Amino acid sequence: MESAKGAGQPGFASGRLTPRSARTERDADVEVAGGDVSCVGAWTVDHMARLEARLDHIGWPGGTQIVIEGSAVSAMDTAGAWVLRQTLQTLERSGRRVSLRGLRAEHEALLRMVGSPDVGDVLATAVARPSFLERVGAIAWTSAEQSLEMLSFVGEIAAVGFRSVSRPARIRWKPILYNVRTAGVDALPITGLLCFLMGIVIAYQGATQLRRYGANIFVADLVGLAMLRELSPLLTAIIVAGRSGSAYAAQIGTMKVTEEVDALRTVGIVPIELLVLPKIVALAIALPLLSVYADVLGVAGGMMMAKKELAVSFPDFVDRLQYALRLSDFLVGIGKAPVFAAIIAVVGCFQGFQVAGDAESVGRRTTVSVVQSIFLVIVADAIFSVIFNALGI
Amino acid sequence: MEGRVDTSEPIVEVRDLHTRFGNAVVHDGVSLEVREGEVFALAGASGCGKSTLLREIIALLQPASGSIRVLGREVVGIDDEEALPLRRNWGVMFERGGLFGSLTVRENVGLPLREHTRLSDRLIDEIATVKIALTGLPPSAGPKYPAELSGGMRKRAALARAIALDPRLLFLDEPTAGLDPLSADGFDGLVRRLKELLGLTIFMVTHDLDLLWRVADRVAFMVEGRIAGVGTMQELSKSEQPLVREYFYGPRGRGAWEQAWKRR
Repeated sequence: MESAKGAGQPGFASGRLTPRSARTERDADVEVAGGDVSCVGAWTVDHMARLEARLDHIGWPGGTQIVIEGSAVSAMDTAGAWVLRQTLQTLERSGRRVSLRGLRAEHEALLRMVGSPDVGDVLATAVARPSFLERVGAIAWTSAEQSLEMLSFVGEIAAVGFRSVSRPARIRWKPILYNVRTAGVDALPITGLLCFLMGIVIAYQGATQLRRYGANIFVADLVGLAMLRELSPLLTAIIVAGRSGSAYAAQIGTMKVTEEVDALRTVGIVPIELLVLPKIVALAIALPLLSVYADVLGVAGGMMMAKKELAVSFPDFVDRLQYALRLSDFLVGIGKAPVFAAIIAVVGCFQGFQVAGDAESVGRRTTVSVVQSIFLVIVADAIFSVIFNALGI
Repeated sequence: MEGRVDTSEPIVEVRDLHTRFGNAVVHDGVSLEVREGEVFALAGASGCGKSTLLREIIALLQPASGSIRVLGREVVGIDDEEALPLRRNWGVMFERGGLFGSLTVRENVGLPLREHTRLSDRLIDEIATVKIALTGLPPSAGPKYPAELSGGMRKRAALARAIALDPRLLFLDEPTAGLDPLSADGFDGLVRRLKELLGLTIFMVTHDLDLLWRVADRVAFMVEGRIAGVGTMQELSKSEQPLVREYFYGPRGRGAWEQAWKRR
């Protein structure tokens, strides 16, 4: 051991340039022989685990006076010093007088350092975990707060929207068109494919039942009504919520983290006017159009399946469709789309503005925006169903 | 400080290092060595390749050619598994902290301990708390998330994580960048104190002249991918090299120099 040379270099014993972990040193331990207690081995973070596990089971010698011999400690770091300090304190608290002997100067210094009062204070203020009731309360409170904030956000959008409409020259067409493209045109392939498949599934499921009653031709009623009234707008809204709602939350959230939103304010641009309104308008245009497109492809899917499974030819199918569907069925479906669009855009943007601080918050808010907007879209759809039913449409 | 001459093998040794990004030459034959127990600073203008050199020394980037030995091992061409024992023996504090946003400060500091030792959770929390206190953070900082801390506190938390495993070698990338003068002053003292307490060797990259004067034992001055001068600040400030002179005797350099003399 080169104790003299290592002064001021706690933790480094022999073999100066070999990484500490690679060295084969004895694990830290406390040896008790009769009345003699001595600390041995390397009191470093890599060699502490065994001692820590058996610390509570050491058979300390009786008597009120314990002398601990520390000269056989080959190395020590903060972790070792901390364990030693805790051990000494536990012994003292049990009413014994403890003295430490033969510890190297640099180890002594470490021991003093981890025992300095500021460390003690820090430990004393370790916070307790909140109780179950406390957490439930906190969640309830946050939810209520969020709902209120959402409401005020909607109000703010309305106020900014009216101001914009009153000065049409200030409407920002470029971001609107850009958003129509990204949320609408770019979503055509996936929306089309999914609704086509949905048409196939419905016709296929219906085929078994209809064939039993020889009511093959009614497959057109089934597919037409289901797709136009319910499934097309709903599926489209869900896809757009996942594609665009999440993108809105992530975009605005990232802009908040990088202080771009604040920068907008300082150059005199209302963030809602630039970031939110164009998105709402664009989605309100794109979503109904996407729904019409989804109607067509859904029905096409059903038509294909009808021909294959029920031998209903294309002309027969289309012919029947004209009897089965009223204009109101089509309008009911399309009419829901702008409402869904508003929900998706508002929720996405709102969650984006709720981002605070770091990258992780962006991810969390993005997830929340998707879950929340899909949830709200389905709730709105249910409300629509009840209303339309009551009105007899 | 100047009297401490260590004749043992250097703890970091860079030999004839060349680095290129595409056609841009970043390092054109860099050589330097860091001795055990010293605070070594790499200074130079922004974009001269300081941080790149740091990233190569800690094996995050690979140079085009040359040799880098850290703690007696070659790190050029080393893979992650071979680098593990080395990484356990050095701590790195990144310029923007690199704290994990999803973990509290205490969990951040405890992470290396949890990953690399078999200590109990309670002991790890305690050790993490000790490290946090050592860096001068207030007691309330432990359970907070990095996003809730100010820039200066985040740097301290990052430093606490860097020293979590009691490393032998500590790398600091721009430790005072983005700090107000008062916090930066505090950081100078903190680095010195930790070095004395934990027996660290410190390699830092900085362009903070005050930090260079107050903390660094030796300074290497980098200009356009080469080391233009190595020595104590006193030696460097007497350098005849025009670029080095310009750096130290510009208005800011002079201010820091006068400050340093006043303190003597």
